[in-house]
Amino acid sequence: MTHEAPKDTVAPALDGLTTSSEPSDPAKDGFHVRHVATADRVVELARRFDEAGYFLEMITAEDRRGDLEAMRLVYTYNRYGEADRHLVLVDLSSEIPGASAPSCVPVFPAADWFEREVFDMYGITFDGHPDLKRILLPDDADFHALLKDFGRIEDAPPEEDPPERELTV
Amino acid sequence: MPKTLAEMLGSPMLAVATGLGGVMGLLSFNALFCIYLERKISAWIQRRMGPMEVGFHGMLQTVADMVKLLGKQLITPKGIDKPLYHLAPLVVFAPVVAGTSLMAFSGSFALHHIDLGLVLVFTFGGFAVLGIFMAGWGSNNKYALLGAMRSVAQNISYEIPLLLSALSVVMLTTSMGRTVTVGDETVAVQGLNLFHITMVQMDRNVWFIVLQPVAAILFFIAVLAETNRAPFDIPEAESELVAGFHTEYSGMRFALFFFGEYSNMLIGCMVATTLFFGGWSGPLLPGPVWFFLKSYALMAVMMWVRWTYPRLRFDQLMRFCWMVMIPLSIVNLLVTAFFLKVF
Amino acid sequence: MKTPNPIDLAPASAPEDEMYYLNMGPQHPSMHGVLRLLLKLHGEEIITAEPVIGYAHRAHEKMAENRSYIMFLPNTSRVDYLSGMIYNLAYCEAMEKILDIEVPERAQYIRTIANELNRISSHLLWFGTFLLDLGGVTPFLYCFDDREEILEVLDRVTGSRLTYSYGRFGGVTMDVDDAFLDGARAVLKRIRERIPMYLSLVHDNVIFRERCDGVGVMTGDLLRKYGITGPPLRAAGVAYDVRRAEPYGIYDRFDFEIPTRTAGDCMARFEVRVDEMEQSCRIVEQAIEGLPEGPIMPGRMKKRFKPPKGEFYFAVESARGHFGMYIVSDGTDNPSRIKLRTPSFSNLSSMPEVLRGTFVADTIAIVGSIDVVLPEIDR
Repeated sequence: MTHEAPKDTVAPALDGLTTSSEPSDPAKDGFHVRHVATADRVVELARRFDEAGYFLEMITAEDRRGDLEAMRLVYTYNRYGEADRHLVLVDLSSEIPGASAPSCVPVFPAADWFEREVFDMYGITFDGHPDLKRILLPDDADFHALLKDFGRIEDAPPEEDPPERELTV
Repeated sequence: MPKTLAEMLGSPMLAVATGLGGVMGLLSFNALFCIYLERKISAWIQRRMGPMEVGFHGMLQTVADMVKLLGKQLITPKGIDKPLYHLAPLVVFAPVVAGTSLMAFSGSFALHHIDLGLVLVFTFGGFAVLGIFMAGWGSNNKYALLGAMRSVAQNISYEIPLLLSALSVVMLTTSMGRTVTVGDETVAVQGLNLFHITMVQMDRNVWFIVLQPVAAILFFIAVLAETNRAPFDIPEAESELVAGFHTEYSGMRFALFFFGEYSNMLIGCMVATTLFFGGWSGPLLPGPVWFFLKSYALMAVMMWVRWTYPRLRFDQLMRFCWMVMIPLSIVNLLVTAFFLKVF
Repeated sequence: MKTPNPIDLAPASAPEDEMYYLNMGPQHPSMHGVLRLLLKLHGEEIITAEPVIGYAHRAHEKMAENRSYIMFLPNTSRVDYLSGMIYNLAYCEAMEKILDIEVPERAQYIRTIANELNRISSHLLWFGTFLLDLGGVTPFLYCFDDREEILEVLDRVTGSRLTYSYGRFGGVTMDVDDAFLDGARAVLKRIRERIPMYLSLVHDNVIFRERCDGVGVMTGDLLRKYGITGPPLRAAGVAYDVRRAEPYGIYDRFDFEIPTRTAGDCMARFEVRVDEMEQSCRIVEQAIEGLPEGPIMPGRMKKRFKPPKGEFYFAVESARGHFGMYIVSDGTDNPSRIKLRTPSFSNLSSMPEVLRGTFVADTIAIVGSIDVVLPEIDR
């Protein structure tokens, strides 16, 4: 690992936890380090970042079933102070429903709502989440809105003029 | 001594009819005028114009609003406690009429002349909280219930400093002279008689606010709390409880609560005028004019306070009452008693 | 008369059948739009509080995937309608970074001026609504009066009052004129004069102090665990501001301070925001001073943009905290994924823990003091 954390920072000890870790150019893409990890390491990674004093900036997901045949979880960690952003990419199985990862809520309560949003939008479940339910979409929705096969603009029915209504008084 | 309406008209029934009509008229005018005044004062404080469209400088705006409220559908929610829900506006409103009729507007004229006037005013004032709780409980709404619970605790607590500070004035009245001479008449002073309280102040040429400044301030603060005015408006705190105890009321029922609130304010200010500001006494102008001028000046101060301060939290409000107001009023009462005994 | 912490007054264990649920919102006078708080109460004391969100979900992230990069521009300012300029320009700057577009100097300065004016207007609105939540109606109208001046100035150059679409990849749509600069200077003068008045009217008021001192304390590890950013974080003594931590645009050229407090309560958040208005005034002043002549767009503008494949992250300091955009490109002219990391989302997610044990009236004060904008949370 050639990346050096900013001064007065404890670099998170991630050796052996990630599949790969590469420094990146923050001037170009905003990340200082890119990690690739497997789902079973997610919580341990979070714990290491927590110990080093980082905060969980966000959790999100990508529907990469088209090119990678996988659902991808994205974690970014950062610190208060000079930026040191770590991107953690975790590829899950492409089965929806079925794709799942362990929940980071015990380490970062911030993960609570982020994981609910990922579940809401992608259908990825999180084992050990205290209350995994929809957050933005209606509770009775039967879809996961950000999946690539949902709500594509090509699938929209051709627009028709609304039928003329008679005014009744 | 003031002549009562019954003596003037010669018939008690006729007196009740005219008196009731007069008081209702006064209170209706008061509500319309106060809402207008409140809007204008808030507008001036907030550097706005306020109502300007209906009538000269928007003077008929409140009349238009009243007509609108009269024409509105009365919505009765499901699941209410019917008797309580329907009675509540009346329970808030009726005692107000009774209370107003006891006021000492003028030295020559009275609706009633009762030696226990002050006690009766406070008794009728105490009914308001009953109506508010009935409204809150009967509405079957959690916001309304919360507002009602707050209201009960607040009104009962603030009645103590209210009565204690009034009591120190009563002690002063009876001690400053056994008799008072007005014109060519000499009467024995009754400390709880609103007319006598005013007459003593006129006779001794001093307003009781000079002799009892602490009691006056405590009384005014307690009146603010009793009438649920800001910064003590927590029973209807609109940013917390939507509309508090009258959340579920609409149309004329809501208007009655509004009516009751402004009438209670007026009664509070009229009692304060009588107790501390010399009642109807004043040069040149006739008595009733002075009386209402003083009362509405106090009303304007209440409105000024409302548009200036944020709202207290419930526990802070109660703490203020029990830790500051009540001890202060007791001390004030004891000091008054001490000085009256010594001098 | 120091208020003891309500938690100390709370009964150790209230019987379950004495508790009840209160649904506060989504239609409630002080829920700032459509927040719903599901409160479990014992009397007026909060046992548990659960924010329920999603009532203003407009699927901005889904819309992004269904349109080209440039077509997403108008969406950005609708994410947070109170500081739309900051979000709009953040997206532009993110795309410029990805596409490697050089932004002309003049455009950079204009962007800074617009950003900071927008920040002041957002804070002014917060100031008014926060006092309104506490029951003081009058400051609300004073603040709206001032805010109107700012909106007028911005309206002059952007053509809209709230949902600006002022930025373009590479610059801004319209050049500023002398009238705009004069207007901006007049606004600064006015705000500078009014802030001391606001403070003397509000800040020293004993009721206001009672309502804010020691209420809703958010300090220590709680902040980091929930990823809280913006004024709530700075009010607890952490001087984290994206404008400093990873400077974007030309913020590294200006001299400004990051106001902090240590108490972490509603009062500290109030003071931090007031100080921030002052700092924003300083930045605008310096930017007007240094505004160079020149173009506002780099040459001819392309119609289609095809960024390289990969993941990108770009963060700015919005009026509410750290706003991040995570953009995934698959090499086409449609984004594969745009995730908006909005500050209010994280700030609000800490509420169950912060609100526990407080009173109903405090709930309003605390939720008001972290300055949530619901469309920003729901996206």
